[in-house]
Amino acid sequence: MFNNLIFIILFMLGFYALVIKTNLIKNVIGLNLMEAAVFFWVISFSDIGGKVSIHKLGEEVTKFNDPVPQALTLTGIVIGASTAALLLTLIIELNKFSGTIDRDQLEGLND
Amino acid sequence: MNKLIKKIMSLFILAGVTYALYQNFSLMPEYQGLNEGLSSYIIESGLNDTGSLNLITAVLYDYRAFDSLGESTVIFGAVSGIVLILSRKMLPVSSKGLSFIVKRTLGIMTPFIALFGLYVITHGHLTPGGGFQGGVILAAISIIFSIVYGSAFDYRRYSPQTKTALETGGAMIFLGLGLAGIILEGAFLHNLGFLTAETGTLISAGSIPYINIGVGFKVGAGLAIIFYSMIQKTFEEDF
Repeated sequence: MFNNLIFIILFMLGFYALVIKTNLIKNVIGLNLMEAAVFFWVISFSDIGGKVSIHKLGEEVTKFNDPVPQALTLTGIVIGASTAALLLTLIIELNKFSGTIDRDQLEGLND
Repeated sequence: MNKLIKKIMSLFILAGVTYALYQNFSLMPEYQGLNEGLSSYIIESGLNDTGSLNLITAVLYDYRAFDSLGESTVIFGAVSGIVLILSRKMLPVSSKGLSFIVKRTLGIMTPFIALFGLYVITHGHLTPGGGFQGGVILAAISIIFSIVYGSAFDYRRYSPQTKTALETGGAMIFLGLGLAGIILEGAFLHNLGFLTAETGTLISAGSIPYINIGVGFKVGAGLAIIFYSMIQKTFEEDF
């Protein structure tokens, strides 16, 4: 199944950026990439080959895609944007206090 | 040497997680079709229940409107945290902005961007779109003001007080419609039956268009506040 393969590739790219990279902004990018992989997978999994679940006036459509995963994905996107903004704010403040955004060079965390 | 060991261990972890994911997904069955209880019901009677052509909007602002209220509360929490961390003073710190050509071009384009954002917000129950998506388009206008014309222009035209008022007003519209649902229909955020009109017109679908407008202003103002707080601090070091 093709969407599973793409999900694994995207998710592992995000996981790689989160675990191995030491730049904190790259970590945030990795977190967002993992989120995007999950959203992609949910949407592609619920696709049964029907139409987008929006009625058109004067047109009877018999086969719709499931609207519930799409609504939940919208919720997830908004939450992801909020967490990313908050994380970037914390990184800005961290840069002001310690002068670096590399987590290996932060003092007191490497012992 | 220590770093090398760390790197090798991280690669082991990556390989392990990839293998576990692969094993999991090879066991995953094909999608079995629509959920008989929930999804089929929404597809069959969503239009009659809510009057909204867009079934995703019907799920977001009617069946699960309480979830959307929580979602906009999350945005409010993020905005509160960012403003608390970043801004100790709300004075504008000027950036010069871009060249004359860019300013003129975006001066022509900005009204159309605003029009498109308002269109996406108000037609959320008829076409793809809705409050969240349109709100992000409206927030782009504030970002254009800050980058192209300088943050002082953004401060004068669209001050932080206005943004705060818009965000609070959006939340108040949402909550007010929820309370109106209690009073008139007997449940929190119940769709208001007397507002429904002929299906497919702009003002139909009960309280859904009004909730869309509230959420749109709330999201747009919230993202604009986030961007303004961030760019204020980053420019302060340059000038």
